[in-house]
Amino acid sequence: MPSTPRSAYLHVPFCRHRCGYCNFSVVADRDDLIDRFLNAIEIEITQVLAQTPCQQLDTLFIGGGTPTHLNPDQLERLLKTLRQHLPLAENAEWSVEANPEDITSDKLHQLRDAGINRISLGVQSFDDQKLAVLQRSHSGPLAQQVIEATANVIPNVSIDLIFAAPNEDLQRWQSDLQTAVRLPIKHLSTYALTFEKGTQFWNQRQRGTLLPVDESAEIEMYDQSRQMLGEAGFDHYEISNFAQPDHQCRHNMAYWLGNPWYAFGPGAAAFIDHHRNVNHRSTFTYLKRIEQGRSPIDESESITAQQAAREAAAFGARLLQGIDLADIERATGWPIIQELQPTLDQLLEQALIQISNTSICLTERGIHFADTVASELLGETH
Amino acid sequence: MTKHLRNFCIIAHIDHGKSTLADRLLEETGTVSIREMKEQLLDDLELERQRGITIKARAVVMKFRRGKDEYELNLIDTPGHVDFQYEVSRALACCEGVLLLVDAFQGVEAQTVANAYAAMEHDLHIIPVINKIDLTHARPDEVAEEMMNSLGTDPDDCVRVSAKTGQGVGKLVDAIIEHIPEPPRDTEAVLQAMVFDSNYDDYRGAITYVRVMQGTVRKGQKIRFLRADTTHDVVELGQFTPHRTACDELSAGQVGYLICNIKSLGDVHIGDTISIPGDGAAEPLAGYSRPKRMVYCGLFPSDGQNFSDLREALERLAVNDPSFEFEPETSDALGFGFRCGFLGLLHMEIVQQRLENESDIDLVQTAPNVTYEIVNKRGETVEIHKPQDVPDPGDVEEFRQPIVRCNIIVPTDFIGAVMKLCQERRGIQKSQEYLAAQRAMLTYDIPLAEVVYDLHDKIKSCTRGYGTLDYEIIGYEAADLARLDFLVNGKRVDALSIVCNRADADRRGRAVAKKLKSEIDRHMFEVAVQAAIGSRVIARETVPAMRKNVTAKCYGGDITRKRKLLQKQKEGKKRMKAIGNVEISQKAFMAVLSEDDS
Repeated sequence: MPSTPRSAYLHVPFCRHRCGYCNFSVVADRDDLIDRFLNAIEIEITQVLAQTPCQQLDTLFIGGGTPTHLNPDQLERLLKTLRQHLPLAENAEWSVEANPEDITSDKLHQLRDAGINRISLGVQSFDDQKLAVLQRSHSGPLAQQVIEATANVIPNVSIDLIFAAPNEDLQRWQSDLQTAVRLPIKHLSTYALTFEKGTQFWNQRQRGTLLPVDESAEIEMYDQSRQMLGEAGFDHYEISNFAQPDHQCRHNMAYWLGNPWYAFGPGAAAFIDHHRNVNHRSTFTYLKRIEQGRSPIDESESITAQQAAREAAAFGARLLQGIDLADIERATGWPIIQELQPTLDQLLEQALIQISNTSICLTERGIHFADTVASELLGETH
Repeated sequence: MTKHLRNFCIIAHIDHGKSTLADRLLEETGTVSIREMKEQLLDDLELERQRGITIKARAVVMKFRRGKDEYELNLIDTPGHVDFQYEVSRALACCEGVLLLVDAFQGVEAQTVANAYAAMEHDLHIIPVINKIDLTHARPDEVAEEMMNSLGTDPDDCVRVSAKTGQGVGKLVDAIIEHIPEPPRDTEAVLQAMVFDSNYDDYRGAITYVRVMQGTVRKGQKIRFLRADTTHDVVELGQFTPHRTACDELSAGQVGYLICNIKSLGDVHIGDTISIPGDGAAEPLAGYSRPKRMVYCGLFPSDGQNFSDLREALERLAVNDPSFEFEPETSDALGFGFRCGFLGLLHMEIVQQRLENESDIDLVQTAPNVTYEIVNKRGETVEIHKPQDVPDPGDVEEFRQPIVRCNIIVPTDFIGAVMKLCQERRGIQKSQEYLAAQRAMLTYDIPLAEVVYDLHDKIKSCTRGYGTLDYEIIGYEAADLARLDFLVNGKRVDALSIVCNRADADRRGRAVAKKLKSEIDRHMFEVAVQAAIGSRVIARETVPAMRKNVTAKCYGGDITRKRKLLQKQKEGKKRMKAIGNVEISQKAFMAVLSEDDS
């Protein structure tokens, strides 16, 4: 595995509103902090690169929060900072997350002119009722218009769709998928709504005021996505990701393959020099620490060869093409194949994976149990 | 100048203010100044304080003068709960009188009656005391009437006090002096003393609480425990004032303590008689018996590694509480642990709470069961302390269970509900008396197992908390009992077996199977939960196979988080118990304890 990261992630924690299901590191309605944040980011990047110099990046991903929530001047400053400190390779993938309601023609051109060549839109649904349940502030028709408009400027468009929202049935989900495949998108991430501790939805479910859809319906929706998107020419390449040929998200692939990456901003998690460093989740603490000249890192964990190997196997197994354990063994120097043998036998027996030579991949049944498989592959390393 | 002795105890229902009254008596007699007074001085165990009840009996001497007369009043504090009936009876044997304390609002309760009867059996002089007369809703006249109806006391003899404000406490001291007889003072006779309690001091060993019945015991003297047949030197003796205060001798009628270099409380038997070594010893006092454990349960460390820690913790407890016993037990499902015997349910709860407070061991407890007797085909009678030991039906000639006589005092409105409940629990009604226009006492003989199971809770809930229950063991009776087993994917889970009445087996089997189903996580395969008697399956539930994980996204920041989450799940799994290839959480083992009626 390359020891110098060739990927970087930047977390922009600002949002107009916190959605009921969101447990990300986000602050809503605190635009007054944006300038401090832009200062802090520059300091953090400079400090991290001083320790681990950056040669060239193959992928750069601006996520959030809502990066496009920044006004044009703020956005300009951010993009400039990144360009200045993080050299991109030729053909690098530079993505930004955006909310449909923030997209204007000016903003699109601003992003494109700065060098951004991939845009990931937080659409979640095209159904107004479902969008209301999810507390999203755009409408279905607007999302469609925005996708069209975006594709005209930045053709590599990805969208996120959530399924199994409260009260959602298969029919409504099918209609979301139908709309999606008719639109000019190259990539689609889709996942079932999860109820995370510390969110409104979690509390509402605890109180019984919000009912998750039942298990069979959720499985049906997932399988439906695989079928409909497959028919429309999207390759199901990772548990919750679909792409047209040659449009897989290269940035995310780096995560799943166990490659190192930089990460900047509140709550951002980096994998540098065999360490997983997670910044403090609170935007306020993050800012305070940087402003006081302290490290924003809240947790740092050294990853042993064994751990790196097991993580690469566990997260690589989320890729539908599977993963070659021999590659992991070469990259980490850890005898993972031998170590995992009993686990592999068990997973094989449970019909969760297929094995050919040293490669493993999920079976049709295993696709529904990716977490169980990951858990077994991770084992009890500490 | 003459010295007068009075020995008495206070008997009361929980919350009727016994400890507060004791405190006021100490103040009134000048034994303890108000400044020194800690709230409820006599309850010295932290746990007792927490629960607001007295578990261990204590004794305190109150010395004061009235004119030319010197008085020494010994108050022996008794545990209020039925689990400690034997201790109560030994304490009563050391007294000539009792204060029968009743709350001026609550009135007579089941426990009051039980204890009053015990006092009458010991032929003690009873001083009826009505407490809490300062309460707005106090109804002392009605309560005096109730006491007359249920206990036969004279309403005119009732002393009315408020232990809280101190009102009437002076008159109570007068009544104690006037009505409670002086104990016999034969100080020259051969030593004969009753052991009525003991506790353990980390530095001094066992502290033995005694009442000298005749003769005199002196410091440095050799004494003999007649039942235990052990001889010791008296290293120190004294009285509780209320703290230990050493003196040179205790003579007939006096109450105090002995320290004799005894290393374990197990060597001091409550109810034993102390006399002198050799042939000239006095007669042993009557009424001695060994503590009988009526309730058993299994205690297992969640983590097998903690087995020896648990043993140490149990040993420490047993040093302070000889009525608690334990022995190693092995369960296929739970591994190594201990089968523990208790005097009753409250005793069990107290011991568990102490374990939790005093040690940091995560425990799995199995359902409590009573001590059964089985007569096998060879005509032998065997005591059964755990359901797993019940032999196969073919080898059981007779299956016997302990029966208790329950006194239940209820407001008359709830009589119907309580009678229905007792009948459901196989109770046989013995009597029904009206204590007052609004209150009645029902007496039933009921299997102890039913009481242990949930009778007390059920009585509380069907009487809106007003019903009170008290019981005593009256013996064993044959019944149509069976061992009910639970199987998980065909494997019997030994720690879940219970003994129940055959007629209840269907209902309980179904309820527990259902509960287990909800407690067992879904696996990659279907899990069958069955209830069975012998080879006959009487209930079945199925935990369906897991069909999917959550299809969540997983990006950079999620890797650390996700790994931690997965590892936490693994940790949780490690603490689960494996039955074949089925992982069962510890909580599931409590399933048999709580039954949702269905």
